[in-house]
Amino acid sequence: MRNWYTGAIAGVAGVLVLGALAAAQNTQNNAPRSPWKYYPMDRAIGDGGPAPKRDLSGTWAGPASGSGAPRQKPEVVPPLTPLGKQLFDRHKPIGKYSPGGTNDPHTRYCDPFGFPQNMTQEIRGMTIATTPNRTFVMLQYMDLWREIWTDGRTLPANVGGRGRDAHDPKYNGYSIGRWEDDYTFVVDTTGLAPETWATKSGYPHTVEARVQERFHRDSKNDLTLTLTMDDPKFYTGQFFLGEVHFRWIPNQQLDDFTCIPSEVQLYLKEMGDPAGSDPSAAR
Amino acid sequence: MKLKLLMIVVVLAGLVAIDRPLFAHHGAAAFDMTKPIVLKGATVTEFLWINPHPLIKADFKDDQGNVQHWTMEMGSTVSAQLLGWTRTTLAFGDVVTLYVWQAKTKAPVGRFNKVEFSDGTVMRDTQTGADDGGRADTDVRQ
Repeated sequence: MRNWYTGAIAGVAGVLVLGALAAAQNTQNNAPRSPWKYYPMDRAIGDGGPAPKRDLSGTWAGPASGSGAPRQKPEVVPPLTPLGKQLFDRHKPIGKYSPGGTNDPHTRYCDPFGFPQNMTQEIRGMTIATTPNRTFVMLQYMDLWREIWTDGRTLPANVGGRGRDAHDPKYNGYSIGRWEDDYTFVVDTTGLAPETWATKSGYPHTVEARVQERFHRDSKNDLTLTLTMDDPKFYTGQFFLGEVHFRWIPNQQLDDFTCIPSEVQLYLKEMGDPAGSDPSAAR
Repeated sequence: MKLKLLMIVVVLAGLVAIDRPLFAHHGAAAFDMTKPIVLKGATVTEFLWINPHPLIKADFKDDQGNVQHWTMEMGSTVSAQLLGWTRTTLAFGDVVTLYVWQAKTKAPVGRFNKVEFSDGTVMRDTQTGADDGGRADTDVRQ
């Protein structure tokens, strides 16, 4: 009887260990590999060595990509102000209302996520490239790019105002970046288009919201991004938007992955709207 | 002591078991996740490899001889490919058995669970592909 228990425990433990080992192995086989093709199951092995200094450049695989990146840490929401709650209550996020009941403009029309949501949603792939006075973050999803100025300028003060010199809010806002140390690149952004949602769960933001990103190069193969938002008009405290982990892509390739309006309309017509919304989802 | 060890094993096994999604992505809120509808001998009429969700469209003849036209969504293309799906995994004319979590509206639409091909091969959805409606891609998704 004692041996039966011991054997059962050893058997299950063995299965667990073997499963973990199989998942950790680089799955590359010996078939010819094209330098043009993205192989989602090809994973960088280990940390690849120490992080290069002041260098985020390259193509990175994010959460849910199959790359083995650690799980994303979710948002932590501070209390809303009465004004923030008023706007939040108007939003019907897809997670609660399903495609048939949501009013998320990205779900219904492929409207841009906007920043900061585009750094926490569908962030399976991105490329970072640097020029002398700017750093570009190029996102696989929707084929879009963000521009981060590193020439020492300050953020614009007058975004969304009425004066002649007022700046227009932008989907990706206005961003400046600096190296805090040899491995941490800090980006500050403001001037965000107010019609976008800060998160997929429908939390709003103002034009004046200030979002900070901290990109930390942990090793040659690992990059960690944390995002926070300060928006006192809508929130009584700082909003933790999430912690996102990335892994180096061995052949630096990405697939096409985008929202196509005609496909979204087809999907909603054939599937999303007929399926409807959970009747218990009403807010 | 033996009972305590067995409980540890059970807990560990549970931790690696396929986790049930709550409201991940748009979740399964609109679908009846208690028991899948089985469409045995359904004929695929279209397989749309699109975003946000590929769509499987199939005709199914019920016991009364009525033909039902079903549409079901599956996990995104970038997720599904991690389980080996491609745009040609299903094709017009394929006769298969489809398992689907039907919409609560009772319309012939739903969330795809799994497909059984005539040769016995089974291909599953990502988010709701486990037999209990949980994820079937936890080993490859991260």
